[in-house]
Amino acid sequence: MKVEVGDEIPELVKHPTTRQLVQYAGAQGDFYEIHYDQPYAKSVGLPGVILHGLLKAGFVGQLVTDWLGDNGALKTFEVSYRGVDMPGHPYRCRGRVTRVDGKEVELEVWGEDEGGKRTTVGTATVLMRP
Amino acid sequence: MITTAEAIDRIKTRIGVEGPAVTALVEAGHLRRFAEAIGDPNPRWEREAPPTFLVALAPVSLHLSDAEEYGQGWLNGGNRFEYFAPAMVGDQITAKVRVVDVYDKAGSTGNLLFIIFETDYTNQRGEKVARLRGTAIRR
Repeated sequence: MKVEVGDEIPELVKHPTTRQLVQYAGAQGDFYEIHYDQPYAKSVGLPGVILHGLLKAGFVGQLVTDWLGDNGALKTFEVSYRGVDMPGHPYRCRGRVTRVDGKEVELEVWGEDEGGKRTTVGTATVLMRP
Repeated sequence: MITTAEAIDRIKTRIGVEGPAVTALVEAGHLRRFAEAIGDPNPRWEREAPPTFLVALAPVSLHLSDAEEYGQGWLNGGNRFEYFAPAMVGDQITAKVRVVDVYDKAGSTGNLLFIIFETDYTNQRGEKVARLRGTAIRR
């Protein structure tokens, strides 16, 4: 696979639902109530139940592994959460190549809400197969 | 309710102290449920853990009651994974978590308490699988 700085990787759009948050809570074993209990979420000052940060990381991870396929291995994957996201709104994951150094490739990756705000920002480094 | 300075002082005494090791088997059914929860249909995850799966094997932070006396809730600030070897179905993964740092930052609604946790994952052959660095925020 030929990779160049500036390449955009194919975007991935997710449509998270409250049901998915419950599914994710079970799969990860994170039963913090802010992800499925509306009254509880509001009682701690949130607008309602919010996506798990790690669910958004999972979306962005899929963005990277869908693009990479069998062409290399993920070496590092880092995300920061910059805002809360609620179910019922599309979540768009995007990325682009920021550095190519021999077989090592660095990507800037992010997830944005429907207003285009990047609520998850991160970096992935991959080692491409020869 | 305690002050940020009190919370920081108390949690600082925990820096470097490891929680109990947790060992868990990477099960095919668990991988499938995790991939389904993310909505990732890649058949690769029938035998291999997707990038964020390790967080499902063991708690990613220590339960710090000192931290919970501060603020009203937790937020996840970020996660950094460093990968050394893939985790495959049948692997026995051991996770060890520790506090590596604690500090505060001014937020829009008051001080935020940041606690940095690091988890090392090794497999049944003693090989390093991954290291996770996570930022837990108390708000």
